[in-house]
Amino acid sequence: MTPVHATFGEVAAERRIASVPLSHVSVELGHLYMEDFEAGPARLREQFRRVAPWLATIRSVWRERVPGGRARVSTCFLVDDYFSRFSTPAELVPMILEAAAEHDLTIDYLARESACAQFEDGRSGAVELARLVEDRLVDDPPPETDGSRPPVKETGWLCNGSRSPLTTPLQAMGKARPWEPPTQNAKRGHSIFVDVELWDERGARRTWSCPFLAAVWQLLRLGLLRAEGRVPLPPVPLEGDWPGDWDRLPAVVRINPQAAPFSAYTTLSVLSPRFLPVELAVRTILGQVAVDDEVLRQVAARSESERVRLEEELVDRVSYVFT
Amino acid sequence: MLVMGEVHTGLLQNSGEISEPACRQVLGLMTGETVRVSRRPIVHALSPDRLTGVDCVLPAASGSRIRGVGTVVSRCAVTGGRVAQGSSYVRLARSETDRRLPWSHYLARPGVIEVLGKARAADIAEGFVGEGAPRLHGCLDLTAVTGRFLDLVQTSPLLNRRAPFRMPRTILRWVAETGEPSIAFTLHTEQERTLRLTHPGPFTPAVVDLCEDLAVHDWLLTSLLVVVERARVGATPAAEVAARLSPAVDHLLHLWMPAARVEERLTPFWESLERRPGFSRQWRSLVDRVRDQLAVHTLALLSANAETGGR
Repeated sequence: MTPVHATFGEVAAERRIASVPLSHVSVELGHLYMEDFEAGPARLREQFRRVAPWLATIRSVWRERVPGGRARVSTCFLVDDYFSRFSTPAELVPMILEAAAEHDLTIDYLARESACAQFEDGRSGAVELARLVEDRLVDDPPPETDGSRPPVKETGWLCNGSRSPLTTPLQAMGKARPWEPPTQNAKRGHSIFVDVELWDERGARRTWSCPFLAAVWQLLRLGLLRAEGRVPLPPVPLEGDWPGDWDRLPAVVRINPQAAPFSAYTTLSVLSPRFLPVELAVRTILGQVAVDDEVLRQVAARSESERVRLEEELVDRVSYVFT
Repeated sequence: MLVMGEVHTGLLQNSGEISEPACRQVLGLMTGETVRVSRRPIVHALSPDRLTGVDCVLPAASGSRIRGVGTVVSRCAVTGGRVAQGSSYVRLARSETDRRLPWSHYLARPGVIEVLGKARAADIAEGFVGEGAPRLHGCLDLTAVTGRFLDLVQTSPLLNRRAPFRMPRTILRWVAETGEPSIAFTLHTEQERTLRLTHPGPFTPAVVDLCEDLAVHDWLLTSLLVVVERARVGATPAAEVAARLSPAVDHLLHLWMPAARVEERLTPFWESLERRPGFSRQWRSLVDRVRDQLAVHTLALLSANAETGGR
C-alpha cells in the first residue's frame, strides 16, 4: 500500500482573522463636541465650508494615484457622546447632514465616540476597543533596555522617551539631585518629549482620554483592529428614523448606501489647528501600537494586489489638514 | 540572519491538572485575542503573542558590543493542563541604517531585532548558546523576559499554588538558521539546555513549536528522572518507594507525546534525536522502572494479605 497522506485540523487551534473591505482613503469631515454644538449650526457650516475643497483635492489626488482612476473615498463624521451627552440623534444628525449638503458634502458614515471606548449590542456583543488597544501597546524602549526589568511605566501614561528623574529630595537623603531633562528616544539632535495621559480613574470608573479614543478611532478607520478574530463594529444601515437616544444608535451608521467601504488604507482628517496637540498625542500612541501581524499582512497583500504602495509604518498612513 | 529564543518549562503551580476552560482563562493575556487550544493527541493551549521592546547589546562570543533594536515575541503554553511554558524569540535582521529609527518602524516588523552596525551571525549565535561565552553588561536578557511571562501564568489567581511535587524550571536556549539540516541538543547544568538547529527553507513559527515540544519532553524526562532518584529504589522500604513514585503516575506518565505538535517537515529533527540520544527509549525504560516498582510493591501487599488471610 502506498503511504496515505493524512491531514487533521482543529478549528479551536487555528487563528482565523477576518478581512475587512478597504477604501483608499477615509476622510473625516468633522468631529463634533458639545462646545461646537452649543455654538450653533453656523459653526458646523463653517467647518464644512473649510473641508469641502480639501475633500475635492484628496479625491483628485487618489484618482491620479490609483490605476484606472477608480479611487474609493469614504467620508465619516464623529460625534462625541462620551465626554458629554448632548442633544439626541433625532435632533442632531439631520442638522449635521443638512449643513454638509449645503456644501455638497455627503457624510457616508456617522460614528459615536463612546463606541471607541466600549460598545455593546445584540449584533456585535460586547466590544471593549479601548482595552483591546491598550493591551496592544508596546512601549518605545529607551536605549539600554535589555528586557531584564519590566518596562518602566507610569500607570495610565505613555511617553516617547525617558522621563526626567525625580528631583525632589527625600528628607533623609539631604541633597537634591540637579534637574535632568527628559529625552526622546528617536531624537534628531534635540528632544521633543511627549507624555500622554491615556486614562484616569475615579474609584472604579475609568475615563479614557480624548487622544486615546482618537487613536482607537484612527485604528478602526484603518481596518487594523480585530476582536476575537472578527472585525469589530462593522457599519450598519439605520433601521427607521434617527432615535431619540444615543444608546439606541449603532456604533457606526452607514448613511449612504452607495458609500465606499468605511475602513481604508489611509486616513485624512480635516481639523482646526486647535486639535494639533491632540493629534501629536494620537501619533505618539499610534507609534506604540503593535497591530496584529496577520492583519498587517492582509492589508499589505491587498494593497499590493491593486498596485497601491502603502506606507509601512501605520502612523504614516494617517494624515491631516489643519485649517 | 539568525533566530534565537528561549523556552522555560515548569510544573503548573496547581494541585491537579487544570481544565480546558481554565487554560483559556490562565492564558488569556490580551483583550480580544483568543487562546488557541488543540485537543489531539494531547490538550495544548497557547496564549496570544505579546511583544517587549528592547534597545540593547546583543550576545557576542567575541565580546564586541553589537547594538540591536526591536521587539521580542513571547507567549505561554500549558500542555495537558499540567506543564507550563514561557517562550520568547527574536529574528535578527540587519538594519539599513546605523541609527535608531522611530519606534513605529520596529512595530511594523513584530518579533524582529534590527542589528545596527557590523556583526556576524555566528558570533551572536555562539555568544548566545556557546559554552563559556562572555556575559556582556546590559546584554539582551531573554531569560528575564521569558521568566516574567511564565510567572504571569504561574501566579494566576486561578491556580492554587499547591503543586504535588517541587521541580525546578528548565531553560532551553536555542538558535535557528537556514541551511543543511542539523540539530545539536546539549545538556549543560541541571536546568540549562541549548539547541542549535539548521533547517531547510525560511524560518517560520513552526520552528518555535518544535523547540517548545522538545523543551516539554526534555522537562518530562528530567522530572521523571528526579522523581525516580528521590524514591531511592533499593535503599528505602518498598511502601515508601511506591508513595514517592506515585506523583509521577498521577501527573507525568500520560504526557509523553513526542512530536505531537511538530510540523511534518520538521519531524525528521525529532526522529534524529530519537535515534541519538533516544529520548523515548530512556523515557520508556524509566516508565517501566516506575511500573515495575509499583507492581512489585502491589505483589508484596497482595502476598502479605494472603498470608494474614491464611493464618
